[in-house]
Amino acid sequence: MRSRLLGIIWSLVFLAVPVLGVATFAVAPAFDIWLPENVSEHGPTVDGLFMFILVLTGVVFVVTEGLLFWFLWKYDAAHAQGPATYRHGSHSLEVVWTILPAGVLLFLAIYQMNSWADIKMRRPAMSPTVEVVGRQFEWRLRYPGRDGMLGTPDDLFIVNDLHVPVDEDILVQLKSADVLHSFFLPNLRIKQDAVPGMKIPVWFKATQTGEFDIVCAELCGWGHYKMKGHITIESREDFDSWIEKKYAEQESTQPVAEPSDAVAIAD
Amino acid sequence: MNTSAIPLSPGHDSHSHGDHDHNDHGGSHGHGPVLQYQPGLPLTRGKLIMWLFLSTEIMFFAALLGSYVVLRFGAPIWPKPHHVHLSEPIGAFNTFVLICSSVTIVLAFESAKANKTAAAKAWMLSTLLLGGLFLGIKGYEYKAKFDHGIYPWSPRSRVFEKPDLYYGSAVRARLGEPAMIDRLKALDETPESKLTPDEVSARRRLVKIRQLVISPDQQAFDLAVVADQIMPLPTAGQGSHGEDGGHSSGLNDTFPWLKLPAVIPGGTMWASTYFLLTGFHAVHVLVGLIVFSILLLFTLGSKRAGMIENAGLYWHFVDLVWIFLFPLLYLF
Amino acid sequence: MSTTTIPSTHSAADLATLLPVRKPRPIADFLSTYVFSKDHKVIGLQFLFSTLLWFLVGGLLALAVRWQVAWPWSDVPVLGKLFAQQGGQMSPEFYTMLFTMHATVMIFLVIIPILAGAFGNFLIPLMIGADDMAFPTLNMLSYWFMWPAFFAFGASFFVEGGAASSGWTSYPTLSTNVAASPGSGMGQTLWLVGLTMVGVSSMLGSVNYMTTIILMRAPGMTMFRLPMTIWAMFITAVLQAFALPVLTAAGFMQLADRTLGTGFFSPEGNMVNNTLTATGGGQPLLWQHLFWFYSHPAVYIMILPAMGMVSDILTCFARKPLFGYRPMVYSIAGIAGLGFIVWGHHMFISGMNPALGITFMVSTMMIALPSAVKTFNWLGTIWGGRIQFTTAMLFALSFVSMFIIGGLSGIFMAATPVDIFIHDTYFIVAHFHYVLFAGTAMGVWAAIYFWFPKMFGRTMNEFWGKAHFFLTFIFLNGTFFTMHILGAVGFPRRLADAYHYETFHHLQPLNAFMTWCAIGMVTSQIIFAVNFFWSMFFGPIAGRNPWHANGLEWSAPSPPGHGNFDFQPVVYRGPYEYSVPGAEKDYLMQTDPPNAAAAMAAAAAH
Ligand code: HEA
Ligand code: HEA
Ligand code: CUA
Ligand SMILES: [Cu+2]
Repeated sequence: MRSRLLGIIWSLVFLAVPVLGVATFAVAPAFDIWLPENVSEHGPTVDGLFMFILVLTGVVFVVTEGLLFWFLWKYDAAHAQGPATYRHGSHSLEVVWTILPAGVLLFLAIYQMNSWADIKMRRPAMSPTVEVVGRQFEWRLRYPGRDGMLGTPDDLFIVNDLHVPVDEDILVQLKSADVLHSFFLPNLRIKQDAVPGMKIPVWFKATQTGEFDIVCAELCGWGHYKMKGHITIESREDFDSWIEKKYAEQESTQPVAEPSDAVAIAD
Repeated sequence: MNTSAIPLSPGHDSHSHGDHDHNDHGGSHGHGPVLQYQPGLPLTRGKLIMWLFLSTEIMFFAALLGSYVVLRFGAPIWPKPHHVHLSEPIGAFNTFVLICSSVTIVLAFESAKANKTAAAKAWMLSTLLLGGLFLGIKGYEYKAKFDHGIYPWSPRSRVFEKPDLYYGSAVRARLGEPAMIDRLKALDETPESKLTPDEVSARRRLVKIRQLVISPDQQAFDLAVVADQIMPLPTAGQGSHGEDGGHSSGLNDTFPWLKLPAVIPGGTMWASTYFLLTGFHAVHVLVGLIVFSILLLFTLGSKRAGMIENAGLYWHFVDLVWIFLFPLLYLF
Repeated sequence: MSTTTIPSTHSAADLATLLPVRKPRPIADFLSTYVFSKDHKVIGLQFLFSTLLWFLVGGLLALAVRWQVAWPWSDVPVLGKLFAQQGGQMSPEFYTMLFTMHATVMIFLVIIPILAGAFGNFLIPLMIGADDMAFPTLNMLSYWFMWPAFFAFGASFFVEGGAASSGWTSYPTLSTNVAASPGSGMGQTLWLVGLTMVGVSSMLGSVNYMTTIILMRAPGMTMFRLPMTIWAMFITAVLQAFALPVLTAAGFMQLADRTLGTGFFSPEGNMVNNTLTATGGGQPLLWQHLFWFYSHPAVYIMILPAMGMVSDILTCFARKPLFGYRPMVYSIAGIAGLGFIVWGHHMFISGMNPALGITFMVSTMMIALPSAVKTFNWLGTIWGGRIQFTTAMLFALSFVSMFIIGGLSGIFMAATPVDIFIHDTYFIVAHFHYVLFAGTAMGVWAAIYFWFPKMFGRTMNEFWGKAHFFLTFIFLNGTFFTMHILGAVGFPRRLADAYHYETFHHLQPLNAFMTWCAIGMVTSQIIFAVNFFWSMFFGPIAGRNPWHANGLEWSAPSPPGHGNFDFQPVVYRGPYEYSVPGAEKDYLMQTDPPNAAAAMAAAAAH
């Protein structure tokens, strides 16, 4: 029967949604199209939560899309016998499918609060390791000089090339000189908008050495796409000697460390 | 139409163009029957839509007021009403004017309902006049701000946040304008006998300031003195004196033509929000006045009572917004 | 196509007032009938045609976006002529303008006006048994206020610096400082003007709709006998009325910042490109709060009407009552109510106080709840039905299927720690295209195929309709599903070229695949356009009730004349009495007078 065939085809089209959907997520890691390598201490919590929600929503996805397919297959008018069930709903079902997701969602809400607080609310008690200022279209970095304090004449100025020591708490003081930017470190699972007029603390602890991208993740004008920085995570010794080297370079080229945009950068 | 008498509800729209020819299509369905409805609320269409419209207006002003609160409490410093020449008595009087107009429009409505057309017209006219008076007073207040260099936007505004180098150069630029040089010269040459004692003292201070501003090794301290001479900010205890909030001793007050830049910490954002809030309120008042003027063209009998009632609803809303604005802007 | 029977012979009398005119008419008459008409049906169709045209524009802009994402800095076909000086390549500022205007057009000139303007206008009076809207002139004005917006948005492409290019979110200080970006000049100002005009139009429409629904229901049409479409339109109108004024106020403030030099949204001394923004003292985040206070409810404005229409279509082609009518109504109201307190989920990492983030996270999780209720009730509706695979039904089913995907991806972002990673990546782009395009736009197509007979008196071709559905469905998933995994890599949105980043440069082939799918998707729409116009003139005559549906609109002539009804409609029951046991046919229209058999059956069922 032709129309039954059509019913089968259409049901299978809808079955393809969960099948291909799950397949896409299943094969993506094999093609390296997946969460980038994580090198931060809090990263596993973020990734774990991502995976947890993926599994949770994946189950909901497969069940709901599966039911949709099954009903289409089974209740095709060209095939099912007799009239449709005359039914206006069911009290108990409504209660079940309200309470159940409510419980799941509430659990999720409470479950994730702690990691959010760790990443954005429990700021380590220390003075900033480095100040990062977003500016069309580069990252201006300022390290406290030998005195360990920002805003003194011996500050070290660098552009786009962030270095941090491994296994230590890093506190970044994030600012913007002009428009919104967003300080995105994919491998450190860090993202924070830089807002003109605000000083926002960002902290993390890197667990591995290596070199990674700094991405600007907030539209900041025509050059947004190329506002690329670079972060190098290295051992304490390497870091110290890098700072020394940069500092010496700065001393030799710039007798007075007074950047041209002092107005914008000063507190 | 539906139920018997619904003012403001537009008629069946097909009557507006009589020579319609659906029937050309051999139609059995020309104009349908006049339909019956079961209204969900005992309100006329005009009144309901007016209420709904007013609720959108509430959200509009809620957004503006919310922004005001956020900006004000986010600002490191906010000027006292007197720093920006706000006068509570004037504001309070204007509040009174608006409240009176709310009463008169109710009276207009009552008279129209009783079909007393002449009385309705008179009350409507007084509402219009009171609304006009409100706008007039508002205009006078705006002028007082402009006279002090407080404009809602920057190129014209002569308000500075602090006596810094930018401020210094702005004062210098103003004093260096050709027309200004001529006036200053004329002032310098005026014999003392032709000046009031106030003006004599002010002239002496002005000379000092001109020197301070020109001096190359200017200090922030000097500029603070300059600012204080041009427009002193009353301290908290001083209270109000003079009808628009004081400063009779400032140079800008003694010589209004000077129009020198002044320092009012937080004054710029204050001005932006003040003009934003009162400006949108004034536009609403103006719309009300236009509506009243149109209504005055008609005979205000019981047939128009519904219209007057709707106009009145709107007018009460405009008053209500002012009742919120007055304390927020003038008293706190 | 034997699953649907379309009674094709109805008297020619049912032919449109809107069908081709046979004898030449005076221009004035033409104007008052088709241009300055106050008839809600004509206004609805005006909205429909205008928005479909803009849909095409938005779709072509999307193709240009996709081209650059897949093959950055390669010669652009057709558009390339514009960039002759640059050797045929798109400039990055042009790219920012493209996606800004793509989103602006799609949201403000397509989805919102097609739902509320086209379908709201056409359906509300018909489905509640009214002869027109409560205020026809106001209704006409609400359409004509769209034109200044069309002009403002359209003209902005041709002004110096090009159209707005600070994203559809238009965040300051990028949008308020003229020196920040080429599009932040005149283009941005025109954008704000256009937005205000769209706002006025929506506001006029929404108060009118509410008044009409409250005061002009046919006798017997109680609130709880309204079809879901009307409930959805009603609550959408409430959302519009309460959320939109906030955006309007914010728009005025941004306009003042740009043209007058106030500083509501710029901090003191803010400089961009060595140009002072304004006197300052303001806060960039204030704009974001005001914008999302509107735009989050707006995303529900962009889906609730589609949900309503889909509910009506599902019941009709499952030949079954709606499962859980009241829960469905309450969940729409719940979505609308909660919709006002979740706006901060767009700002988790904006620099807003992270403690506030927690409250917004909780409310956002909770807003999934009414959506869950709706989803399960749709599944309940087709469960045990007798499903007819018409084109409209296929689109409606795909709405449910796709909305689940879009909704579930929302849960990832609602979880604040996860949002840190996926915010402003293609995961978000995937999310909102699933709800907006795969959800709402598919729902709109369902509605077009379903109500086309009522609009034009003829049905659309089913075979080509299904071909259109099949191709769109395949290509849309090819384009947008893959965006999820792009997002998992952290692939950022709004980037003219991301491949120079170490992390992302291996993603180009996948993007090329998506672009090919997008090209296929847009091309498939030719089938739709041809079918649409061909059926308008040559499709089979539909008659009053081609789908054997229950709603009031199906008892009026197709298309209805002025005044809509040629009889006084009286409503005896809810809109979903399909397959009532004991009734002689499998549908009972709302206007069918009760007879003994039906009454008995109804008594037995309760
Ligand atoms: C029609 C439009 C629409 C709709 C309906 C939604 C619905 C939802 N959206 Fe979406 N959203 C947008 C349009 C929409 N959104 C747009 C345009 C943006 C981006 C704007 C921009 O930045 O440009 C955005 C961005 C956006 C963000 C910000 C992301 C970021 O920028 O970082 C968030 C964060 O929480 C979010 C969440 C949600 C949630 C939780 C829902 C929920 O309402 C979804 C609820 C539905 C379901 C959950 C599915 C059905 C339920 C079940 C099957 C039951 C069982 C489920 C569970 C137990 C989990 N959305
Ligand atoms: C309703 C909203 C909507 C819709 C329908 C679409 C549709 C599409 N979008 Fe859009 N998009 C947005 C809303 C929407 N988008 C938003 C809000 C953004 C964010 C912008 C920002 O960052 O500021 C965005 C951004 C966005 C990006 C990200 C850009 C970036 O961040 O760099 C991309 C990239 O792939 C994209 C692609 C597409 C594609 C391929 C389609 C396709 O689905 C388009 C298909 C088009 C058609 C199929 C047209 C069909 C035409 C007809 C049916 C007319 C027929 C005519 C007659 C009958 C007369 N969109
Ligand atoms: Cu800086 Cu984007
Ligand atoms: Cu949202």
